[in-house]
Amino acid sequence: MDFAFTEEQQFFKKIITDTVDRMVVPRAREIDEKDEFPWELWREFTRLGYLGLRYPEEIGGMNADPVTAMIFYEQIARGSVGFAQSVIMNILMGTYFVYRFGSQAIKERCLYPAMRGDKVATMCFTEDQSGSDLSATRTTAVKDGNEWIINGTKMWITNGPHADFATVLATTDPSLGAKGLNFFLVEKGTPGFSPGQILDKLGCRGTITGELVFDNVRVPEENLLGAELNKGVEYLAEILDEVRVMTAAMAMGIAQAAYDEGLEYARKRIAFGKPIGTYQLIRAKFADMATEMEASRLLIYSAAWKIKEKLPSRLEAAMAKMFATETCLKVVDEVTRIWGANAFANEYNPQRHFRDARFLLYGGGTHEILKDFMGRMLIGK
Amino acid sequence: MDIIVLVKQVPDPEALVEIGASGKDLNIEPKFAVNLFDEFALEEALRIKEKHGGKVKALSLGGPKAMEALRTAIAMGADEAVLIEDEAYAARDGYSTALALFKALERETFDILLTGRQAIDADRGEVPQMVAQFLGLPHVGVVVKLDISDGKAMAESSLEGAKEVVEVDLPAVFTAQKGLNEPRVPLITGVMKAMKVQIPKLTIEDLGFTKDMAAPENSKTKIVRYLPPKKRPAVQLIPGEAREAAAEAVRILMDVERVI
Repeated sequence: MDFAFTEEQQFFKKIITDTVDRMVVPRAREIDEKDEFPWELWREFTRLGYLGLRYPEEIGGMNADPVTAMIFYEQIARGSVGFAQSVIMNILMGTYFVYRFGSQAIKERCLYPAMRGDKVATMCFTEDQSGSDLSATRTTAVKDGNEWIINGTKMWITNGPHADFATVLATTDPSLGAKGLNFFLVEKGTPGFSPGQILDKLGCRGTITGELVFDNVRVPEENLLGAELNKGVEYLAEILDEVRVMTAAMAMGIAQAAYDEGLEYARKRIAFGKPIGTYQLIRAKFADMATEMEASRLLIYSAAWKIKEKLPSRLEAAMAKMFATETCLKVVDEVTRIWGANAFANEYNPQRHFRDARFLLYGGGTHEILKDFMGRMLIGK
Repeated sequence: MDIIVLVKQVPDPEALVEIGASGKDLNIEPKFAVNLFDEFALEEALRIKEKHGGKVKALSLGGPKAMEALRTAIAMGADEAVLIEDEAYAARDGYSTALALFKALERETFDILLTGRQAIDADRGEVPQMVAQFLGLPHVGVVVKLDISDGKAMAESSLEGAKEVVEVDLPAVFTAQKGLNEPRVPLITGVMKAMKVQIPKLTIEDLGFTKDMAAPENSKTKIVRYLPPKKRPAVQLIPGEAREAAAEAVRILMDVERVI
């Protein structure tokens, strides 16, 4: 087995690490404190071209394989998870169905500008009464001549309030449950499509998350993003593993940012005449953190490799998401203990990592749902 | 306007460095970066190219990891790169490094040779001047501004508390100082090019050298031993109101430390 990144991937990691260190890390605290979308950073960063990471070179993308993409997700989240969420939404979930099923006109109007950062994308799954349970989706799409009429309210939508276009999950036949689900493209300015409440969140601040309201929104027939009707769940399955492993990679980004803060502090903070990193109980924390982070990365990059090779990866992706996120929660907690009372002060970073890590518990599927799903896969129905 | 930039891969400024048991070598954490001053040189070369045309070639002497520095140069916009691969590079002194670089540069034609004022690992700042001497070219060091026109360069160098403006005919050698420019962040198109590019390698034998010319016993200077920096005591915080704290600070400086 070969566990090494290729020379190209190592170089990519180096470049994106340096880029994040220069452009994102210095602004992370301000992004968190202001909790406003960082338009200036968005324009500077997206100009570099990373939003086309996954898409073919012929349309201006980088054609990055899933392993390389995970390197990117990990590093951007290390810089600022709030900013990372907005960036990754444009790279992956917010544009995937437009890329896969959009007409050329739709791609020119939405996908290509989103790859350049000229348009902000989003994807709307969650509602106030449904998240992991997609079959409970209440947003409806009803055919009327050559148009679809969409009604419903979506909640917890990343980039939602300022998105230029949204991929919306809606049912065309509530009696079919999950089998009646489909994706529709709705663009800003369409009558009846409006932002609602903006959520004041514990962490991941700087990415604007909120409600989107669809009140008799009429979209043309071609805005159904799917080759066939009622195959939405099947299409979703195409990126589900990637989304879960991406969430795991983001968890490692936060964990690494916290770990680095902990390491610097352990080397510099003096107690009883010696750096605290010379005491066994502090050393043990680093041994545990580093071991679990290494294990998380093995899961993440092996799952990403399986996705790349088109091997079965459903179980491995769920494992990576759960293990990496739980590791991240442990690391951010341990780092606050290493920092002592200073971790409780808003002027330092450990509290930010501690807050940010919580969100990854829910994004990509709660661990309660994931464990049930994994158990079913392992034991059988 | 053809420009060659000498680029060095150095340990990352945050890499842990420890003195080896013999006292004659260093154990350095394997984290690397492009020498900061060479990034300024590279950026300046790219700006000159954008203004006057021509091409930029990056040249490095180092181990296999130095390839990463050259890929970074390509990602930023350099047209070509060459690595003189030499596992013994770390054992070389400035003289033999400069001689090897000179041997490689002899094969090239260029109008401008740019590099950093010093490498941030050994901090000796001696190679560029020696390369200029071997090439028989003028050298302007510690440059913070560089204007090119009509086969001449106007270079502004920073001196202690002042600046010096030098006019020089091209070709010439310049070393970059902080303040010359702000190096660019590579665009993804450059990164993709850098990931795919095949960078040619030369060995020191290709340049007409033999391996033992780089041997430590043939260096003109020898490292006798490394000494760790003196450990600084922990920071002492003086609590209380600013006025009283300042008075206490003065008392410590006068009565305890006896420095004022």
